[in-house]
Amino acid sequence: MSPQSVLAVSNLTKFYGDFKALDSVSFAVEKGWIYGYLGPNGAGKTTTIRTMLGLLRPDQGEVQIDGVNPAKNPVHALKSVGYAPELPTLQTFFSGEQLMEFIGKMFGLAAQARKARIKQLLDLVGLKEWGDKKIGKYSKGMVQRLSLALALINDPLVLIMDEPTIGMDPEGTAHFRNLFTSLSKEGKTIFISSHLLDEVQRICTHVGMINKGKMVFNGLITQVLETFTKQWVIEAELKTVTKTMITAIKNLDYVEDVKVDENKLRIELKEKKDLRGEISSEIFKRKGVLLSLNLHKITLEDAYLRALKGDQ
Amino acid sequence: MGFLQRSANMVTYEWRRALAKKKFYVLVILTLVLQIGLFALFSYFFTNPPPGFVGSPLEEMKASMWLVGVLGLQGLFIPLIAIVIAGGSMSEEYERGTADILLSKPITKMEYMTGKFLGGLSLLGFVIVLITILGTTLAYGLFGPQESIQFVPVIYLVLLYSNLLFFSMTFMFSEVFRRTTLSIMAVIGIFVASLFIGGILSMMHLMTQEQLYLEISKWLPNWSVSNLPSFVASELITAPESPFVSVPGGDIQLAAAIIAVYTIASILIAALKLVRSDVTKRTG
Repeated sequence: MSPQSVLAVSNLTKFYGDFKALDSVSFAVEKGWIYGYLGPNGAGKTTTIRTMLGLLRPDQGEVQIDGVNPAKNPVHALKSVGYAPELPTLQTFFSGEQLMEFIGKMFGLAAQARKARIKQLLDLVGLKEWGDKKIGKYSKGMVQRLSLALALINDPLVLIMDEPTIGMDPEGTAHFRNLFTSLSKEGKTIFISSHLLDEVQRICTHVGMINKGKMVFNGLITQVLETFTKQWVIEAELKTVTKTMITAIKNLDYVEDVKVDENKLRIELKEKKDLRGEISSEIFKRKGVLLSLNLHKITLEDAYLRALKGDQ
Repeated sequence: MGFLQRSANMVTYEWRRALAKKKFYVLVILTLVLQIGLFALFSYFFTNPPPGFVGSPLEEMKASMWLVGVLGLQGLFIPLIAIVIAGGSMSEEYERGTADILLSKPITKMEYMTGKFLGGLSLLGFVIVLITILGTTLAYGLFGPQESIQFVPVIYLVLLYSNLLFFSMTFMFSEVFRRTTLSIMAVIGIFVASLFIGGILSMMHLMTQEQLYLEISKWLPNWSVSNLPSFVASELITAPESPFVSVPGGDIQLAAAIIAVYTIASILIAALKLVRSDVTKRTG
């Protein structure tokens, strides 16, 4: 673990009865990173988060938040952590403001600072008009927004979020995506568990992948794409496609395979190189009329699926 | 921010949680209405006394009627309110999934539990204050000046102490089972079984004159909870003719010790369970 690690998980193992939910999971997150934690349902994402917060007792291993183990010293470790759980259920007998007031007190915020922070955050999450209403009257999306506001009440050093934008409308999702990016620029560390790969690819700097309780990848988002990229693909759309043209392209040294779908060609390359120029020359040589030509490296989804298969 | 502040914050939380429940209000209102009904019956009795029940004893009874108001509901209703308050204290947070929200904040499990326990207990204390004030006021209003009224605060504290037993027992089940209905049913079951077994043991004692049956019955939870306030009242109020405090042979120390044993054991079990187990996700 690096000395700059704000969040360090080492060798975390957790059993539910005989079922091994986490198997020696280790990773470290440094200041300013946006770390995306990916995995299919039941992979162990929420178990990791709940163990990180001291809600679950690990059978082995430990967690350190800013150098402090939350299971041993929750008061010190969690004072700089904001947590937004997946599909949160909040105390419906409170209004949004009352719950924020109570949670603010738990963090030891002074009355004046608390009041100002509540007003600022309710505005930030778009619940300004709803602050005095009972939470029982909120929609799911509004509860999600309030949960994010609660996670920010203490101006946390580390923000841990489990599927933070699930159930949120596209506008809200975009708003929070921008918010997370700006928080990261302020030096806050953000840990997001998500299955929305597009979201993760857009905002995360680093990625951890877990499957069946085991880490299958941990590193830079660019590195994950590189690691799990076997080949690059060129997609060409032509006016007409002839058999001779397909055969000619297939016979090129740097082409692995060609797949045809009506007038579109999916050309799989042997190397990770941008060979659009060479391909277009070949098409022109065969008197083909090119309508479009695109290079596809790899999406996080491709990398993710390959990582889950253990396919590097 | 220290242990006390963090626990005190949980106390206020616990009040709000308990006061948000309709069943709590229903039970408190029912208790207060019953108390008024009880006094109405006594008032009728004193206005229309049965033949031969006149004169000095009646006047002495009138002067001690505040004890009816304070102790009259101890046998059943106050323990029931204690059970309802403590029943959801820990379990509702698991059932609703709100335990995650609370315990992922800078608070230790011990502070969390202390706040919850003291919050519920102080709410119970408040309800007993209401019952005590209403009982004393009704006694004054309907039956005139009351004797030994200076002991009201002591009797109040003894009542609160007595009700610790069922309160802490329900609190323990609330943490152990993490199901509100199950924990309330378990304690009501113990309460009823204790009454039933106590009755049988008393009957066996009467039939055989064997002291052991009586001694065993004292260790049932109901005996100390129901009798300690009366024992203390008998000790404090030097009016032996008063019909409401004539509980002979009251062993205050034993009753107090039994309550302490049940309470401490319950708190320890609840604390061990909380500290040594995972915070379970939504169970409701």
